[in-house]
Amino acid sequence: MFNLTEEEILRYSRHIILSEVGGAGQQKLKDANVLVVGAGGLGSPVLLYLAAAGVGHIGVIEDDVVDVTNLQRQIIHSTTDVDKPKVHSASESMKQINPHIEVDVYHERLTKDNIFSLLENYDIVVDGVDNFPTRYLINDACVMKKKKLVEGGILRFMGLVMSISGGETACYRCVYEEPPPPGTVPSCAEAGILGAVAGVVGTLQATEVLKMITGVGEPLYNRLLQFDAEALHFHELNAKRNPKCPVCGENPTITELIEYAYTCDTQAPGSTG
Amino acid sequence: MSECGAHSEKGNKLLSFEEDARGADCMLLTVQGKPVRYSGDADVRSLLESRGENSLYANVRINGSVLRRRDFENISLSDGDKVDFLYFMGGGTCSI
Repeated sequence: MFNLTEEEILRYSRHIILSEVGGAGQQKLKDANVLVVGAGGLGSPVLLYLAAAGVGHIGVIEDDVVDVTNLQRQIIHSTTDVDKPKVHSASESMKQINPHIEVDVYHERLTKDNIFSLLENYDIVVDGVDNFPTRYLINDACVMKKKKLVEGGILRFMGLVMSISGGETACYRCVYEEPPPPGTVPSCAEAGILGAVAGVVGTLQATEVLKMITGVGEPLYNRLLQFDAEALHFHELNAKRNPKCPVCGENPTITELIEYAYTCDTQAPGSTG
Repeated sequence: MSECGAHSEKGNKLLSFEEDARGADCMLLTVQGKPVRYSGDADVRSLLESRGENSLYANVRINGSVLRRRDFENISLSDGDKVDFLYFMGGGTCSI
């Protein structure tokens, strides 16, 4: 039977009334373990929606502190949180929305040395990072450990989302084999980001996680969704598994985790996506 | 933008004489899921630049195949090609 209290049944009644979710789906959400990497522009809506939805066990890893320039889009943090570690600020906001959930906070950077041990505790990973080295690290680790991953990226007025079932569906490297050359693609701090675009993309990522957990609908597997806010246009591309993919292809050349160097010509301050 | 003619999402319209004359050199491409007529140089970099896209920000896929960046100048577009820009979006290559 379901292990939901009366208060929880009331709280989640708009979920439970959905026949595709029901009590069984809500129980799956309560039993789920999700790791969100980054508590910035994407992580904010992801964490808030997963917490509100009753995902029972949420991990958040982020080594940054809240900066006033974050507040235009990172809606999980408040003005009074400036200078606080983002993981603590995020955790407090999530617990305020939903005291029934557990939040694991990791105030550290995700590296090749800690990622495998972290992944052991979680079934689904959400990428809300602000740099390519960590993005590729997460993709490769999720392929190697056969974890589900919801990719997301934002820049200026654009965003992208892609869901991945590690080792089974197309991965990030199937589409973007290698990172762009250092210094060629700007960060949000350098090129700007319309705050609400982070909300659109992060909310799509949260939707994908809730679908994966409950089994509702079809995840965005083998597809890449690009969002153009200026034209208000969504463009979906097929992204089949690439047999030549260096990490999930037929003859993978990447069999151990790689951490690309963080290098750039102009060091940008406080640039969390 | 080096697009030409009138075949676009706006639908058909009468072509001016210049547009009609130029139409002979036009290619009909599907760019980002939308039909466009294009009259610029046929290499991929020229298409990117004509659309104001920075070729460093995006990979390019033609008819489902991802191109290598070094091929942007060598590969010629053909009438009917489906072109997708795979934008890099991830917060840059700098540290936090």
